Amino acid sequence: MTSAARYRHEVEVSARAVLGRFVAPPALWFALPAFLFVGVFFVAPLILNVPLSFSNWTTYRTAIVWNGFANFNLLYGQGYLINAIWVTIAYSVIAMLVQNVVSLSLAYALRESTLLNGFFRSLFFLPVLISPLAVGYIWRGILDPAGPLDSFISNFVPGGFHYSWLGNTATALPAVAFVDAWKWIGLTTLVYIAGINSVPRELHEAARIDGASAWQTFWRVTFPLLAPAFTFNVAVTLIGAFSAYDVIQATTGGGPGSSTRSINVLLRIQWGMGNFGTGSALGLIVTVMVVVVAIPLVAYLRRREV
Amino acid sequence: MRASRSWTLARYAGLSVFAIPWIVVPIWLVLVNSFKQAGEAASLDLGLPSVWSFVDNYATVVVQGNYLRALTNSLLVSIPTILAVVLIGAAAAWGFGRSRSKLMQFGYYVIALSILIPPSLIPTIYVLRDLHLDGTTLGYILVLVGTRMGVVVFLATGFVRATPTDIEDAACMDGANRLQIFFLIMLPLLAPVLFVGSVILLITVWGDFFFATFLLPGPTRATLPLALYSFATSSVQSFRWNLVFAHVVLSSLPLVVAYAFIQRRVIGGLTEGALKG
Repeated sequence: MTSAARYRHEVEVSARAVLGRFVAPPALWFALPAFLFVGVFFVAPLILNVPLSFSNWTTYRTAIVWNGFANFNLLYGQGYLINAIWVTIAYSVIAMLVQNVVSLSLAYALRESTLLNGFFRSLFFLPVLISPLAVGYIWRGILDPAGPLDSFISNFVPGGFHYSWLGNTATALPAVAFVDAWKWIGLTTLVYIAGINSVPRELHEAARIDGASAWQTFWRVTFPLLAPAFTFNVAVTLIGAFSAYDVIQATTGGGPGSSTRSINVLLRIQWGMGNFGTGSALGLIVTVMVVVVAIPLVAYLRRREV
Repeated sequence: MRASRSWTLARYAGLSVFAIPWIVVPIWLVLVNSFKQAGEAASLDLGLPSVWSFVDNYATVVVQGNYLRALTNSLLVSIPTILAVVLIGAAAAWGFGRSRSKLMQFGYYVIALSILIPPSLIPTIYVLRDLHLDGTTLGYILVLVGTRMGVVVFLATGFVRATPTDIEDAACMDGANRLQIFFLIMLPLLAPVLFVGSVILLITVWGDFFFATFLLPGPTRATLPLALYSFATSSVQSFRWNLVFAHVVLSSLPLVVAYAFIQRRVIGGLTEGALKG
């Protein structure tokens, strides 16, 4: 290094050291509005949820008083609680499985950015744009005994086929969970495509040259390297479905009986009756479920990442 | 070569066969039945209407379905929410990306956590009552800003961390102050990632029904999902498929039309930039 170059270099280094101290934005000031919004509308309600769950807050009482486990006991005693938890878990697992299996397959088929693939990506993205409530009404039509699905099956069944998918306890829950998955598949597909394309091409080609079949290449090379996208999608779809409400409200309203009455549907019913304390208790259960499932799941799936 | 070409052909054939029941039939069912008269639509078949009732159905939805007011309300909620989240989220992301203080780290984790943990709804109403904002559009917007900011902050912070500080240093040496650096340098740099965040935000805010049911009582403030729900549940006799489907079409149209224009950037942004960091 010539002396002039060294001098320049030294000036640059010292300038950067000084500037580093000044240029670093007064980070707190810039983050303050965000802290304020998140603090008041996310953190405060999250904390308040605990005392409110153990309170007798209803429309008819002005004073909110601690009443122990009365809300939980009430829900448990009526048989609502266990049913709602079970419905929510089953719904989430089905929605998560359908969503990830279909979108992983679609992503693999559409991984290359060609014009025709672009068309199909857009086509499968369409349901993402439709509101979950509207999606519920669309599928309520398709799954109706008079709807296209039963008409199609009638072509193969002598005497016709008129089964109410949403009106029978055996199929209502899987059906609504499927509809929820259908709505979001376009988005998870794009995340998987991003994941697949971040896997270096050479690895794929090397595996093929070494004699691996397409199936083996996918499971042994692509899939393990897809772990970040997989973690993200499994966690988000499962946890998202814990808050299941819109699709159920549009299709079955929680029925038949209580076979699709998820925690949030029950929360809405309790709130409608003015039982705010009981409603808070149900909200707390969803929060606890998310925390209990999300943290170990993210930790486990992250460990699997290559 | 020949094998790979026939494989491509088989793949597209398979995709098309899959897309017909998966996408085409549901969309067609809604469109074609929204043009039929009530009696004909009740049979929910896929044939063309024998009597077209296009004007009647859609006029009924616009008038009885509270459509124009709901559309205005949805815009009045979505646009301020997105602007606020983008501005506040980007500023916070710059702070998080450039700070190593423990407090800021903690704050970042809390905001990132708000992506996973669903907001506590009923206590939110309690907070809004204390602020005398319950049942107002402003209250609803503030709640959306506070609870949906996580995704934008998360994406933008990852981007800031991956960007070297050289440009900021240079601007500082040229005498720019921090606000100038933020508005003139950081915001434009973050534009692609903020765009992706805004698209995700718009989709969730536009479709939000659960929060809106609790926070926006009454028809005057109803957004599109609320208007659709009260319209669908308003008929006492039977489900009016033709009108409900017409409402579904009109509620979905704004996002679908907007998407048609920016489709390439949306798909490109989500497949390239979504999962960095």
